[in-house]
Amino acid sequence: MKFIRTFMAAATALAVTAFVAPTFAADDPGPAAYAQALKGKRVMLVPLAMGFDLAQGWAHFLKKEVEGWGGVFETRDPNWVVDAGAQAITDAISSDTRPDVLIIHAPDLNSYSKLMKKAQAAGTYVILVDNPANFPADAFVGSDWDRLGQLEAEAAIKGCGENSSKKIGLVQGDQANSSSLYQYAGIMKVLDKHPDFKVVAKPDSNWDATTSRNVTTTMLQQNPDICSIIDFWDGDATGASAAIRDAKLDGKVFLVTTGGGEKAADCDKLQDGTYGAVVMTDLARQSGDMNAIIKFLLQSGQPAGTSHTYIYTLEKATTKADLKPDSCWDLKALQAEAAAK
Amino acid sequence: MSTIGWPSFRSLNQEGIVFAIAVVLFVSAAIGLPGFIDANNLVSIVRSVSVLGILALGMAVVVIGRGIDLSAVAIMAMSVAWYLQLLNTGTPDGLAFAYVLAGVLAIGMLNGFLVAYADVPAIFVTLATGSFVFGYVRSQLITQDAVPVPQGHWVELLGGLRFLDIPIEVFVFAGLAFLFLLFLRYTKWGRYIYFAGDNPVAARNIGIPVRPMLVLRYVLSAFVALVAGLLTAASLHSINTRVVNSTLLYDIVLVAVIGGIGLSGGRGGVRNVLVGAALIGILLNAMTIIDIPLLYQNLIKAAILLGAIIVDGIINPRDEQTAQQGDI
Amino acid sequence: MSFRERLQSWRYNLVPDHLVGEILTKRWTDNAIPFLALVVTLATFGSLIPGFFKLTSLQESTRQLGEFSMVVTGMTVVMLGGGIDLSVGSIFALSCFSAVYVFFILEQSIWLALAASLATGLIFGAINGYLVGYLRLRAFLTTLVTFIFGRALFDILVTTYAADVQLSTATSDVLDFIGDSTFWGLSVSVWLAIILAIVTHIALTRSRPGWHVLAVGGSRRSAHNAGIRVRRTVFMTYVFSGFCASIGGFLIACRLSGAGPGTGLNLEIMALTAAVVGGVSLGGGRGSVIKGLMGAIIVLTMTNGLIRLGYGTGTNQMVLGIMLAVAVTIDIRWLKNRHKVLNEVYVAPVYLKMGATQSAAPGSGTPYELDNRLSAADHIGLGELEGPEDVILDRNDNLYCGTRHGEIVRFFAPDYVKSEVFAHIGGFPLGLAFDKAGNLISCVGAMGLYSVSPEREVKRLSAETARSWTSIVDDARLRDPNDCDIAPDGRIYFTDSTKRYDAHDWALDSIENRATGRLLVYDPKDGSTRTLLDGYRYTNGVCMAHDGKSLFFAESWACRVHRYWLEGPKAGTAECVIRDMPGYPDNINRASDGNYWMAWLGMRTPSFDLSLRHPDMRKRMTRRLPQDEWLFPNINTGGVVKFDEKGGIVEAMGDLTGGAHPMVTSMREHKGFLFVGGILNNRIGRYKISGADPNWTSSASYWGAKS
Repeated sequence: MKFIRTFMAAATALAVTAFVAPTFAADDPGPAAYAQALKGKRVMLVPLAMGFDLAQGWAHFLKKEVEGWGGVFETRDPNWVVDAGAQAITDAISSDTRPDVLIIHAPDLNSYSKLMKKAQAAGTYVILVDNPANFPADAFVGSDWDRLGQLEAEAAIKGCGENSSKKIGLVQGDQANSSSLYQYAGIMKVLDKHPDFKVVAKPDSNWDATTSRNVTTTMLQQNPDICSIIDFWDGDATGASAAIRDAKLDGKVFLVTTGGGEKAADCDKLQDGTYGAVVMTDLARQSGDMNAIIKFLLQSGQPAGTSHTYIYTLEKATTKADLKPDSCWDLKALQAEAAAK
Repeated sequence: MSTIGWPSFRSLNQEGIVFAIAVVLFVSAAIGLPGFIDANNLVSIVRSVSVLGILALGMAVVVIGRGIDLSAVAIMAMSVAWYLQLLNTGTPDGLAFAYVLAGVLAIGMLNGFLVAYADVPAIFVTLATGSFVFGYVRSQLITQDAVPVPQGHWVELLGGLRFLDIPIEVFVFAGLAFLFLLFLRYTKWGRYIYFAGDNPVAARNIGIPVRPMLVLRYVLSAFVALVAGLLTAASLHSINTRVVNSTLLYDIVLVAVIGGIGLSGGRGGVRNVLVGAALIGILLNAMTIIDIPLLYQNLIKAAILLGAIIVDGIINPRDEQTAQQGDI
Repeated sequence: MSFRERLQSWRYNLVPDHLVGEILTKRWTDNAIPFLALVVTLATFGSLIPGFFKLTSLQESTRQLGEFSMVVTGMTVVMLGGGIDLSVGSIFALSCFSAVYVFFILEQSIWLALAASLATGLIFGAINGYLVGYLRLRAFLTTLVTFIFGRALFDILVTTYAADVQLSTATSDVLDFIGDSTFWGLSVSVWLAIILAIVTHIALTRSRPGWHVLAVGGSRRSAHNAGIRVRRTVFMTYVFSGFCASIGGFLIACRLSGAGPGTGLNLEIMALTAAVVGGVSLGGGRGSVIKGLMGAIIVLTMTNGLIRLGYGTGTNQMVLGIMLAVAVTIDIRWLKNRHKVLNEVYVAPVYLKMGATQSAAPGSGTPYELDNRLSAADHIGLGELEGPEDVILDRNDNLYCGTRHGEIVRFFAPDYVKSEVFAHIGGFPLGLAFDKAGNLISCVGAMGLYSVSPEREVKRLSAETARSWTSIVDDARLRDPNDCDIAPDGRIYFTDSTKRYDAHDWALDSIENRATGRLLVYDPKDGSTRTLLDGYRYTNGVCMAHDGKSLFFAESWACRVHRYWLEGPKAGTAECVIRDMPGYPDNINRASDGNYWMAWLGMRTPSFDLSLRHPDMRKRMTRRLPQDEWLFPNINTGGVVKFDEKGGIVEAMGDLTGGAHPMVTSMREHKGFLFVGGILNNRIGRYKISGADPNWTSSASYWGAKS
């Protein structure tokens, strides 16, 4: 199949050059080659689940772009179940409509490694997004979680200030996910440089808001003079913020978290003071990076698995002070836009 | 259920064992952990288990009637998520609440109808409806895993409500526990639940409306789940539907059952739920204070629960001749 | 025939209504609902997903199915034993981790990894089994707690060792083969799952431990009281479940070359759903491995299919929920109502127009004219006997008869006062005959053809004949063996009255009136049984003609007697010799004057004859009326008829008072007396036949004078 496709492409290209080129010699060959290389290519996104802001944001931007150049964009929704995700990837690779590019949001470092290898063997480019995995994918696009942790710690230190108790609490995700582990490492790197700051507690939320609230409540009871809490994800930081509110420590505890820069999840909460700082991933730019690398890979002609590119998204800790109207993207607006079509 | 008051240690049953463990834990935490005995912390212990406890109360009523409600968590999360979604898309509050209330009661009735009139085992019915409720609401009615409470809505204000510095959930839990106690112990229909749970056929033969009451129990459980969901949303300002896939459901069953309510029905009461909730609450709080990672907390929790049921199994062995068929 | 009747006969004689009922009696219809669901699911997703059935696609997509169905098999066995195992997900995950740890971190061989995996599963299963089986803890609660425990342990382990696993460079061809390759077109996990399913199925259905599991699940108390070691059996089911889950865990370790925090998450709910959708009942006793497998395929195809179709979170659960509810509800309703449905549809009457008959009324002047002679008969065993269907006498004049209690009773000559149980058979002995060696041959209702030696040794001769391919009910089994007689060469000719009803449901057979009666022959030389004739309306009495070259047999519901030729030009064919009698013929026996005695078990009535022309009415009747209000053959009056070699009626006698012999099912002439039996009677009658040969005995007539 592949040979025939390449041959056809070459033949068409030849025909184009042979018959058309002389007349329009001044024409730019770029668009034709671009369209030729990309047309009908399939791109599939397999996130952890489709039900949260990041995945929906990626899907939106990718879909727009891929359909723009005449490709087919699909998503698979394993709904946080690793086995279902693995099966979705397996099915995709072995199906008649094998995707040319597979964008995978890995749940942990290892689970999908073997499948990604298989995908590459079958000729599918694999792009990892957001979560690193123990696998040399064709490209990794996402956050440097270590750097992200450092930014969080710096924001927390700044938020506490020099005259505070210098006690920091962490609400980790879990002890298995790379995003959680690397974030912790990054935070610790910064805190090592500031020995006067110390971590008084570091419970896990298991990415669940209720648990986050409960552990934060206990943490605040034990250490009412805590000056900053770093919760590892805005998905459960609402719990930590509820605990702070309950303890009547609003404004006294500086809550730092990370997020995808969605308006309702991050900017609104910065605005109303729920969060002191959010280290936001610029989702539009991240999606743009993905789009670029997809287009590059599909035109490169190189076999899957030969390049190992890392594209880290620029991260920035945003506080209420530097909140701008375009700091966030608005999921509701995107959905309205999609619905309007 | 024959005596009122705390269990005596001479007749050590599962409830007694769990209660003893809870007391031992409480005393050692009070001595060993700074800040544990603090009034605020005690309130927060109760608060941390109040939603769990409320759900367990609903579960208890169903279990006493020889049933089980595995759809409780789905109803709790999805009803409130739908409610909030309706509000966020501009549906008037009263209408939205009416929709949701109708939906919740309908699911409760569906559960009850299938169990009572179609004779389908409760575990399957509620497993199915739970899955359906989650799936339907998630795929058809809401767009995201988490739905926020609109700014300034009464649910948000409810979360901030305090009386004597004690959060509202604690009062709701206490109030519901008291109501359930009155219902189960002092009303005719409450006593009927025990009869129906103990021996449904005999209960039916003496003229108790066993089937309509079964429907009532599931409706009650669904309604209690809605209350628990509203309280969760109130305190977190949002509801995350992922909670349906978490172990919360197992925790509810555990709280209800570990305190001594038999899954075979007819035994137990509100007291057992309180004992179960106390054990879980004290355990989790103490472990969080010691800063034990969540993973180890689960391990320790499971080990203690396992110990409790093993001790019960040894002290009160079950008899081959009197065990009920199909009692798992 | 009126047009209405013609329509009726087409409708009820040509449309095979009876097949519906016959299909419903099959055990495998238990699987009908899950099987239908399976077909619908596969067809739906097969047509929606392009290339779904392509081999390479199936090879890959069934790997997960292999692992999953193993877990479901284990769960099924536990559920059959009356328990539940919620910890399968944890066992699965821990076994997966064990394999990964041994292989990648300790860098041992893959076989050691497999051993570690299995050991993990067996130990975990043994813990569950010990707690639930030996300590008698409640399965649901206990396995729920061990599930949480196992999960927590796994999460801790996988977190601790995740980094080390990644750094490992261990590889193995075997691992890659198990995880990636196929063998004869299928992946290793599918092969293993198939083998495991077959072995488990055979063990459950055909081995002692398997039966014990089912017995314990069916009724724990009864199993305990029957001496089954309940606790050990329950223990073993959990160990088995642990074993199954551990193989699954090992396979996923091979497939993904690692373990992650999500491994085996929610597996217990998936497995439970699969088992339930397949129709395995909770609380034990009902279900099978096949059902579990069907459930596994349905659930996985659906979940993965919906994901492949790109449906979002929730759709899956919604469809699964609907499916579970519908499947379980239908299954439960089906199970509960199957016998009701069966009762409704099983009786499928056919149309028959009986020929006009001569009257048997006293004073009618016909050959069939009944008199009151039998009321004068002496009684033997009055009040001691229940249901002497057939009677026979041996060379020493002792009298034998079968009873409803499953015994053959012997009354001693000469006064027939003293009696003893000659032999205990177990079933209701009907037709009796002595063979040359003096063995008593008997057709035992619902059991088959039996022989009782003079030393009272009971031996089964035949219980089945060849299965016909077109029949849905198992017609190999002898359902209602009724009467037998023995040819000079020793072959035993006997009738099996109906294929569709058990002996005690003869009234239903008469109402249905379907021709399913057979004539069979048992050959003592090679022990074979053959079907000679088929398609008669309740074949009944059999009697060898005096010359031994043909036999007579009665067709009760058609009121006919046929002659079947054993020798001569017509050998192997049957001809009707008496038709349209006014009574329903039963047993036939030889008379001393060269004629034949025939019993009438009852008399035709115009009302029942009419009803035979209205199958719709009879169908409604069996559905809507209680049994004691049904219209069926009159059995309050019967009699004895003598006919000659050509089928001419010689005489008829009866008991018009109805006091002694209202119905007659058999009669035997012996030394000038006629011994009369009736299946619903409480005595044997002895009637002195005027003018009969006082020395003639049946034994001598058949086998010659005493040697």
